[in-house]
Order: sequence, then C-alpha cells, then structure tokens
Amino acid sequence: MRIRIVFILSLILIGCSDKQEEQPSKVVYPKVDLVSNITNSIAGEAISLTFKADTDINNIKLQIKNAFGSVLLSPDVSKKEDIVFQIPKNYTRVAGPCRWKLLVDGHTLQKGTFDIATNAPKATYIESYFGPRSVTAGNNDFSMLTIAPTDAYDNPLDDGTPVTVKYQFQDNIDELQIETESFFAFYNVRSTLKSGRILVTAECNGTSSKELATIVYPDNAVNFSISSSSAHNYADGNQIITFKSDVIKDQYGNIVTNGTLVTFVIKNDQDAYLYTIGTTINGVAEAKTLHPDKAATWEIQAFVTGAAESNTDNFTFKAAIKDYPVHFSKGNRNIDVGPFESFMKQLIPDGLLLKLDIYDMNGAFVTSKKTTTKNGVCNIYLGEYFLAAGKYKLKISAAGITKEFIKDIDGDTVE
Amino acid sequence: MEKKTNTLLILALIVGLAFHGSAIFFTLESTYDALIHLFFADHYANSWFDPWEYRWYTGFTVQSYPPLVHQLIGILSYIGGLKFGMYAVALIAIVLFITGAYRYTLLMTGSRRIAGYGAVMAVFSSTFVETLHIFGQLPSVSALSILLHAMTEIYLWIKTGKTRYFITSATMLAVTVTSHHVTPLFGMVFFIAPLMGMAVMDAAREKVNSYKALTFKVFWGTTLQHFWRIAKFGGTAIFLLVFCIFPYWYNSKRNPITQVAIPHGSRDNFLEVTSSGLVFFIIPWGVFLFILPYFFYRYFSKRYVFFGLSFALLTILGTGGTTPIPLMMLGETAFNILTLDRFTLWATIMALPIFAEFAYRMVEGDLKVLIQSKFGGVYHRVLGGLIAGGMLFMVLFTMTLGYFRPSQPAKIKMLPIVNFLGADSHDSWRYLPLGFGDQMAWLSAQSGAMTVDGNYHSARRLPELTTRAIERIENSKFRGVEGIGSLQQFLTVPEKYNLKYIFSNDKFYDPILYYCGWQRLQQLENGIMVWEKLNVAPIPQIMPKQDVPTIMKIMWGIIPLTTVLIAIFVNIQMIWVRLLKSKKMPEHSFMKLELPYNRFPPKLLTFSHWWALLVLICLGYGMYIFYVKNVAQLSPNNVVESYYDALDFKEFSTAHSYLDPEDNIDIAQYMLEVSVTDGILSSYAKLDSLGIEIYDETENSAKAKVATRWITPLENVFNNDYHELVKRKNKWYIKSEKVDNDIPPDQLFTANGTTYYNHGRRKITTQETYHEDVLKQPVLEILSAKLVKYKGQYSVIGELQNVDNTPADVVINATLYNDDNKELANYNAKHQIKHKLMPKETTTFKINFEGIAWSSTKDTLPPTFDPDQFTPVSFEEQPTKFNLQSAGNTANTDLYKHVALQDLKYTEQGFDGVLFNSGVQEVTIPQLIISYYDENSELLWVDHKFITEGVRIQRKQFFNYKPLELDSLEVINSSLENVFVNGLPNKAVADKIFPNRKIIHGKQQTQPFNGKGFEYLKFEINSYIGNPK
Repeated sequence: MRIRIVFILSLILIGCSDKQEEQPSKVVYPKVDLVSNITNSIAGEAISLTFKADTDINNIKLQIKNAFGSVLLSPDVSKKEDIVFQIPKNYTRVAGPCRWKLLVDGHTLQKGTFDIATNAPKATYIESYFGPRSVTAGNNDFSMLTIAPTDAYDNPLDDGTPVTVKYQFQDNIDELQIETESFFAFYNVRSTLKSGRILVTAECNGTSSKELATIVYPDNAVNFSISSSSAHNYADGNQIITFKSDVIKDQYGNIVTNGTLVTFVIKNDQDAYLYTIGTTINGVAEAKTLHPDKAATWEIQAFVTGAAESNTDNFTFKAAIKDYPVHFSKGNRNIDVGPFESFMKQLIPDGLLLKLDIYDMNGAFVTSKKTTTKNGVCNIYLGEYFLAAGKYKLKISAAGITKEFIKDIDGDTVE
Repeated sequence: MEKKTNTLLILALIVGLAFHGSAIFFTLESTYDALIHLFFADHYANSWFDPWEYRWYTGFTVQSYPPLVHQLIGILSYIGGLKFGMYAVALIAIVLFITGAYRYTLLMTGSRRIAGYGAVMAVFSSTFVETLHIFGQLPSVSALSILLHAMTEIYLWIKTGKTRYFITSATMLAVTVTSHHVTPLFGMVFFIAPLMGMAVMDAAREKVNSYKALTFKVFWGTTLQHFWRIAKFGGTAIFLLVFCIFPYWYNSKRNPITQVAIPHGSRDNFLEVTSSGLVFFIIPWGVFLFILPYFFYRYFSKRYVFFGLSFALLTILGTGGTTPIPLMMLGETAFNILTLDRFTLWATIMALPIFAEFAYRMVEGDLKVLIQSKFGGVYHRVLGGLIAGGMLFMVLFTMTLGYFRPSQPAKIKMLPIVNFLGADSHDSWRYLPLGFGDQMAWLSAQSGAMTVDGNYHSARRLPELTTRAIERIENSKFRGVEGIGSLQQFLTVPEKYNLKYIFSNDKFYDPILYYCGWQRLQQLENGIMVWEKLNVAPIPQIMPKQDVPTIMKIMWGIIPLTTVLIAIFVNIQMIWVRLLKSKKMPEHSFMKLELPYNRFPPKLLTFSHWWALLVLICLGYGMYIFYVKNVAQLSPNNVVESYYDALDFKEFSTAHSYLDPEDNIDIAQYMLEVSVTDGILSSYAKLDSLGIEIYDETENSAKAKVATRWITPLENVFNNDYHELVKRKNKWYIKSEKVDNDIPPDQLFTANGTTYYNHGRRKITTQETYHEDVLKQPVLEILSAKLVKYKGQYSVIGELQNVDNTPADVVINATLYNDDNKELANYNAKHQIKHKLMPKETTTFKINFEGIAWSSTKDTLPPTFDPDQFTPVSFEEQPTKFNLQSAGNTANTDLYKHVALQDLKYTEQGFDGVLFNSGVQEVTIPQLIISYYDENSELLWVDHKFITEGVRIQRKQFFNYKPLELDSLEVINSSLENVFVNGLPNKAVADKIFPNRKIIHGKQQTQPFNGKGFEYLKFEINSYIGNPK
C-alpha cells in the first residue's frame, strides 16, 4: 500500500516538475538598406521608399506615421533586390515630419524620418477672420484680422510667409506687409475717429481673401441742446408739445447712431418729474407729450444717460380755462359742471378730466368719482347706491381749479 | 336542434360597424386620449425595442403603459400611416366589444335570443359611446372586450376542468393584460371572481333539484371540489399579469409615481359639480338609471349573487366624491390616484346582460304580458318607445357632446409647424406648444423635435410638473394659479431645458411670453404664432437616458404581439366552427340554465314605476335648478352673473341685452365702446371667481358690489365694481357706465423711427451660419447690483444699460452663495425688467428666487391656492454673495418706447399718474417698473405694477400706485465684483466703453419723495403691444 502511495506521489511530482522550455531558435534578421534616399519632399508629390535586402522576406511591412495618422503598408513590389513601398496620398499631402519604420514580425529593421514641405507654389488659399464686427470710434478700440494662408492641401504655409494686408476707410486705402508666425498672421485694424465702415482684405502668394468689414460706430454722445414747440401755449390738456434736440454728436463730430435713446425729463412746478422718450434719427431726437390741463411751468432737460445732457429748456403753459360753473339738482345728487370755455371762449375739446372727491363733515375721505367732458360739459350723478343721504363736503377739481361745496345730499337743491 | 345564425348578432355587428365605424372618423381625433396612443404608436413604429422616448418631458420610458394597442397601431401604420392604424384598431375593438357582449350575455342568460339583444344593446350603450367617442380609451375598450370573450372560457374551465378551456382562457387573459393593466387587475376582482362564484354555484345547482335546496353547505362542498381549478387559474392569471408586462411593473417600482395627484372630475361631488355628474354618471348610466331596481333584483338572485355584490360595489365606487363611501373604501391614496369613472364603466358593462334580459322580457316576454294585462297595450308601446327613445337620445347626446361643447381647440393643421421644426435646425432646441389641447400629441408624433411638455401625466419627470397638479403646461390656464406659475418657471428659465420655441394657439399667453423676454418670430400659415427666446443653447448631443436590461426590451417588444398570435392560433378552430357552423358542437352546460321567464314579479313592476318616478323628479329638479340659475334676468344676482359671464366669453351682444334699455345705448354704440377698450382684463383674462353682494334691494332697484378675481397670464387681478340694477317689466337690468370722452387733437398722425432687421443667414446654406453673419453681442453695463432682503425674501436688484449702438435683448441670471461659496439658488429676471433696450437705454431689474412649488410632495398642499403665484425658494443657509451673469443679443422687435409719463401727483391714495401714448402703436398692457433709491441715489428696491387697461394711440391712461414702505429692507451685499457681461467682467466693459460716466444723471431722472425708508423713486414704463402693426 505504502509503496503504491509513494509511487503515485512520485508520479505526481514528476508531473509537476518544471519542463524544460524550448529555447527560441536564433532568428537571423535580413539586412536591409534604404535605396531611395528621401530627406525632403513637397506635399502632394508621390513618395515611395525602396529597400534592398539580402534575402527574400515574406512579411515585411512599413509603418508610416505623421500628422495624418499612422498606417502599416505592404510592399508594392517585393523582390529581394527591390522592395518598394508607395506611401498613400493622404499621407504625402500633409506637411511636416513623416516617420517610417521597416518591420518584420514586429521587429524594427530600420527607421527614419523625412520632411514633407508645404506646397506653396501650387496654390495658396486664405482662411481669414475679422472681429469684432463693430468698434467704437476713438483711439482705444480695434478689430483683429487673422489670416491663415494654406497650400492646396490645407497645410499652413511656413512661418515668415509674407502676407499683404489692405484696408480701406473712406478715401484711404492702406497696405502693409506682415509675416506669418506660428502658421498665421494677424493685424489689429485700429478704430478711426470718424464713424463709418472699414473694409479689409489680405493677399498671400497672389491669392486674395474675401472682403471683411467692421463698422466704426460713433463714440458716446456729448452735450447737446433742445427746444420745445407746440401749436399754442395754453394748458388745454389736448394739444401735443414736441421736444426736439439738435444733432447729437460724439466728441469727434460723428452723429450718434440711429436709435440712440434720449430721455426728456420734465420737471413741473409741483416738483413732479415727468418724462417722455425719443430715439435719434440722423442725430435728432424728437419726443412728444400732452399739454397739461392746468397752468404750469415745465423745465425740460434731456439725457443720453451716463454720457450727455442738454441745456434746460423752459415752457410755460397759460391757463386755458379761467373758471367753470357748477350746478346741483335732484336733491344735490345730480351735478352738472360746465360749460368749460377755453382761451378763445371755444368749448374745450372732449376729454377734460374732472375729479370729484367726497369727504364727510369730519373731513374724512369717503370716495371719489372721475368723469370726462363731452361737448364742453360733464355730469355726475351720485346714485343712492353710491352715496347715502347726508351732509358732505364735495371737492371738484378740473383744469387746475378746485371748488369746494358743502351739500346736503337728498336735501334741498336751492340754497 | 339545428343551429341558426343569430340574426340579432349579425344585425348588431352591421349596425355597430356602420354607426361607430363611420362616427369614429369625426370623433376619435378630438377625444382626450386617442392622439396620445397615436404618439406611443409612433414611438413603436420608429424604435420597436428601445423604450426610451426623448420627445416628451426631456425623456421618459414607454414601458409606463401596456404596449399592445400601441404596437398594433405601430405595425399597421406601415400599411397606411398612423391614423390608418388607429382606425383599424378602433374597428377591431368595436367588433370585439359587440361579440364580447354577445358571448357574455349568452353565458349569463343561456339564451341565444337574449344574447342577441345584448349585442344590440351593446351597440347603443351610452357608456361605450362615451368611452370610445369622447374619451378615446382604445386600450381600455380593447382589453375589456377581450375580457368579456375570456369569461366564457374561464367559466367552462372551472365548470368542466377541460385543459382546452384552461388554455383558451389563459391566452385571452394574456392579451387583455398586454393591452391594459388596470382592466385585468380590477377585472379579476370585479368580473372573474364573481364569475368563478357563479360557475361553482351552477355546479352546485346540478347536484340538487332546485335553487331552494341549494344550501350553503352544498355550495361550500362544491367550492372545495373546484378549489384546485380555481387556484390553478388564479395562479396563472397572476403569473400572466406579472410576466406579460413585467417591464411595466419593473418600471413602476423604479420610478414610483411620486407626483401630486391631478384633480379628476370623477372624484367630484356630482351634485355640486353638475358637469362632472353629467359626464361621469348620467351619460354612462343613461337609461339604465330607470331600470336599476331590476338590475339589483336580478343580480341578487342566488345564481348571480356574487355578481350582485360586485355590481353594487362598482355602482357605489362610481359615485366618486358624491358620497364619502368610495373614499372610505379605497383609502386616501388609491382614491386620489384612480380615476373612478372606470368603476361606472364596468358597472354599466356588467349590467348589459340583465338589461338585455329586461329588453327581451319587455319586447316579447312575460313583462310585456304583465304590462299589457295591467295597463293595456298602448301603455306598453308608449313605455317601450320611451325607453328606446331614451336610449337613442343618450347615444345621440353623447355622440354630439364634443360637437356642441368642444373639449378641444379647433383642429390645427400641423404641417406648417412640422416644416418649421424641420427647417434650419429648429429641432436642435426644445419647443413648447400652448393652447393645442390633446393635439399636441399628434404634433409630437409627426415631428422628431422634443418638447418639455407631454401628454401622459403619469410619466411626468420634471419637478416643475410633478410638484403641481397640472397635467400639461400646454393648457396651464385651465389649472389656474399653479398652472400659470409652472408655465412662468419654464418661460423665465428656458435655458434649463434648452427651450427656444413656443407655438402659441391661444393669445391668452402672449403677455406673459412678452414680459418673460420672449419675442414673436413669425405667424405660420395655420395661424399659429411662433415665439422665440434668444440666448438659449441648443440641446446637447448626448442626453441622459434611463436604460433597462436588454431582456426587458426584448420581453416588451415580443410578448404582446406573441400573445395575440397565440390567442388567435389557439382559438382559430373555435372561431371557425362557431362562425361557419361547420361542425355540430355540443351545447355548453350554461345553455341549460336558460330561465323560462314566465312570471315577472308584479311587485317589482310597481316598485320600478315608483323608482322611475323618483329618478324623473330628481332629473326634473336638477333641470329646474339649472334653469333658475341660468335665466339671466330673473333676479339681481342672475343679471350681474350673466353680464359678467357674457363679458368673459366676449358675447357682447348678449352683454348689451342686460343693460338698462332706458339708458338708450344702442348695440352699435356699445360694441364700439367695447371694441376700443383693450387691456389685460378685456383681452387676456379669464374670470376666475365672482363675488356678488346685493344690497339696498327694493322692489324695482338694487345695488351690487361685484368682487371679481381674474386669472391673467401675468398675475391675479382683483377688481371691485359697483353696479346699479333696475327692474323693468319683471326683468332686471344693469345701468350702463360712463365712457372716457377723450379725443386726440389730430386725425392723422405721423411718426418716424429706426427699425431693425436681422438676416440670420445671408447665404442660403445648410451649413452652420458663417462667422461673418454672427452678430456681435451688444455690450451691456451693469450700473449697480445688490442683494437685498425684504419681507423675509431675498432678491437681487440692480440697474443696467445697453451701452452699445444696437438694440439689445437682455437675459440676466443671478446665483446666490453663502460665506463658504456654496451655491444656494439660481434664477433669471422674470418680468421686473425691460428685456428689450434701445442703444443707451437703462432698465432696473429685480431677480426673485423662485423655488419649485411644494417641492416635496409630502408637504400638504394649501387647500386654496395662494393668490400669489410665487413660491420663494427656501434657503437652508444665509446667502451673502451673488454672481450676476448678463447677456445681450441683438434685438429687432418690441422696441416701442413712446409711452410718456405725462402727469404725476401724490395724494392720500398714492401716486396718481397719467400715461400718454405718443406713438402709433396701441399699447395693450402697460407695465410700470418702480425703483426706489436712498438719499445717495443708491438703488434700494424694484417693484412693478401692471395697469389693467391699455393706452390707446394718442390717448391718456390713468394709474394709481401706492409707494411701499421700505424701512424693513436690508441691503446684504452691493458689490459689483462678480458681475459679468457676455462672459466678460463688468468693470472691464465699463472702463472701456464708459470711462467718464456721468453718475449724476441717475439722480437727475428720479423723483424726490420723502417715503418710508427711501428718498427717491423712478417710474419706468414697459409696453406690451398685443397686435404690432
């Protein structure tokens, strides 16, 4: 039994013992020489690498690696004397260093590098950008023109390639020479003092870029003056008064952009700040508002907020309505006001606002009612649902004239 | 006995197909649900196995609804398009329903004659008409029909125990499960359980000689005998329910419905909300209401007693909130998730066989004899005519309900919208339809573009939607405050969901679009207005997706149609035999249980008469109440209510007829006066509530104080109006009010201005826009910005200026941080800003930090919604810093600036001011933005006020504004350090563009006022123009 166990164990041990690894047979790599000696080439030209070997090699490969990518090529002709690799077009069109490695079974036999130069003579294309699209007149703004000249295969041209930049503003056309650096050339087109449009273009190796433009907008407005005008200067609450600025310009004499917002602030004699708004057309802003409905003096000043203000203009409105009659009837519930006569004794145009404030005899506010005139008169009826019977203080105000009455509602009409 | 073709069944099928089949073409597309199913079908037609659907809710899974019907439509759509598929499936459903009703009746009564009646009754059952033609519930109808078919098989399995019946019943149940999940789930309880009971009862009956001898003991013994059959079937049913739509259950587990329940009419108290009562009770029950006692009498007989219990339960559950019983039975959660109308649907379907039996007895059976002997032949004919007439009336009434009271907006031509979305990469952004109704699903089905909205509310995913009881944003105006609130969140921060385009079919939403900074792009040829928002980035290429295991996708894609194929394969022989009567089949055992019907209980007849009388009285009373409430001039209250109703619905000639004839305002004059008043109330408001207080009423006069609450897209408007009422010739009238007599001085008016136009692309190309066609972003400058706390709420306020030479559209976004630079909240300026600025124009702004309302659904919802739509975000920590990002984009519309502040006066009631429109566009809704400053002219607060009436051209508009008290206001931070313009630091912009800014200009334009906590204020005007010319 024991013998048997020992026997089995020894068998196992033998089985587990390290087996002698087969030594790799010594591979003798063939000797290969580069026949064609390319150190420089031009993008787009066909390139082939030719090698010469001392023996026939079956699985020889060439690895090509450049900016386009990396690829493993098989030889086009594979004779002992003449192993030719044709490099694909995609690779020969990309300028820059191109590395190659000759491989057999993953073993590098030889390697090398050659440069592909940009093909400037064939054709030059220009990629150009210009921005921002608008600048402000003056001395501290500019748009940048960026030019990237390339050859026919989109390789950027070598540093130091001359680029001609031309820019036009009004009657001037300027031209200057710059050079590419790190594959592109740039030029800052400085803003002008006059507003307008600057057109730029660039030229390289006889190829021109498209036309690019930046608009020179006027600078911030400077102080200006305003005037007011109206059909008459009576406070009828109906006519329209127009405020107008002179031509608003910037410090260089450019007319400000159309649409510039001008706020006409009106301060009336009650110290209320009113306003109306105009936007400029050819530098002139015009704004309108309605006449007040009572005598008033207006001080008008216009602003381009933060940048410019105008002189202060005064406009005095004379009272159009001197007085108006008030008539109570139907137990003082019906109030007829008018006729309102304007400055030529004409009936005022419809729509004059009349406000009735009602206070109780202790002076506490009860309610108010508004109406507008029609054909020069207006009427208020204090219905029973609106106001209970009793004694009230009635304050009627229209056209800046306030009248007070103490009336017994539902009382005797005749006083 | 030679089997003959059942002529009544054939007749029912012909009439049913002709009637429903032709009517669906006019009804189905305007139902609530049909187009949603169409959208799902479109999903399957395009990607059968991938359940993720990007087009709604920023993505959801279609495994949230059983797929069979959708997949059927999807497959059929390859033959003749989606709609062909839908109609084909609807036709199949109609046939299945009629035949299903026939077989169910046959099973219940054992009489082929009565079963024929059942088929005819099914065609004209108002509940079926409603479910198909008003609700459009195709899956529900299909599932129910197949369940009816399955019932015979289930009965036979329990009764005979033959494996053949087990297989047929299981295959049919599988089809039911894959068409609709709720039907088999509740069908098990309400249909199959009583059916099993009946089968056992029948088996027990065979053991004894009469029903009298059938004691509980006998029944119990039989039950035990059949126990394994029942258990086997029950187990199989549960297995099928889980297995066939396993991905559905998996998804429900993974994405539990945590959203706020949406109010549904079926949960209303039908006595209070009569419209819900009509739709969810009167229509489905219809004529059945009169015959209820017979149903209960028959269903509580010994054979049917289990059906009786089930029927009673369904009837009670279907009453919704009318009685507290459903709530008690279902519990709070189930009550608020389930729509209770389905219980009524099942109850009425369950009643069909008994109704058929009643009809048979009435037309040719013992009831006819009884009535004729008791009341005479004429009465019988009249009664029969009344019942038949009543049925027909209900069918016609239901069918035409959608025609007279459209539940959907008029049909929209989708092609222009689909073309718009397809052109020029417009589908790189999300869109939102407004006022489309359920047609939005049809738009989605036709376009690959995505929307933030959706029409299957169980799958809602965005927190803005799930936290509020709104089903769609599209119809948010019908959801009042919370609907509008939710919509406003999407409109204010559209960047969050890459939302750029809005298709508006309802001008109600226009003002809020404008004030949130949207602009009109163009009107499409179908009349839909397209609005766009600038400065929104397109949808990223890679979007989040919730993936499911491949096995789920395969199950979902294969099982449903397989169940149909298996069911057809298994049943084909029987169908063939049954249709062609090619082989003599043994009679089923239930056929022997046909009752002789020779003695209709006279007491039941009498009781039924009394019952019918009671129902008639109730109906009559309801109609009387309806009449009294709606006769316009019967009482002062009615006339005021009718007047406001007429104004709300813009029925001006009706409104005019309520005015006192003695005021002598002719209709032409009235219409003119109405037509010239524009403004938020007359053009963009929906009357929400009306409080009428009548006082000082005498015989012939009264006064009314009318407190109205209007829902407008912007905010709620409360108004108090006073009216004097008079009674003339027994009719009450309203005294008319005075109109503004103001006339402008000029007839013809000229105005000049600068207008702008942006090409977009100058060269027509499908490539990206050329670099030189991209406009420069206008440069803005932030003049001041502050983080303030006022009344416990944090806001960022400030002032900015368009310092460029082109008009700017302004988007401004603020982020709050605490001392540890932890981000706390982020929001955009909503309507307290002028979004469109001319060159050098300034605007003040305020950014409120709005939280998603009731963001944890556990919060109890306020019982009545807060009139202020605003839900301030709740801060866990104290914000101390802010970051402000503003972006300008070239604007070319909505640049109307011609409203002047013409007069301003301070009185005890606040500021009385006058606006004057000096330009040539009618301002529909003027908005005042009021800013407050301290003694150093430093901005303190920004407030706003919408003026309810518009400013007409060359005319004035009065306003009143009460200044706030700001003594409690606290300025937390007023640094301009983290303020950016178009991504650049504000300081750099300011130094370059405005090195010599005249700061004093700010002060020179403000109104000195000695207020509480402030020294100056300023009124700015922002004008919304409803119809730009």
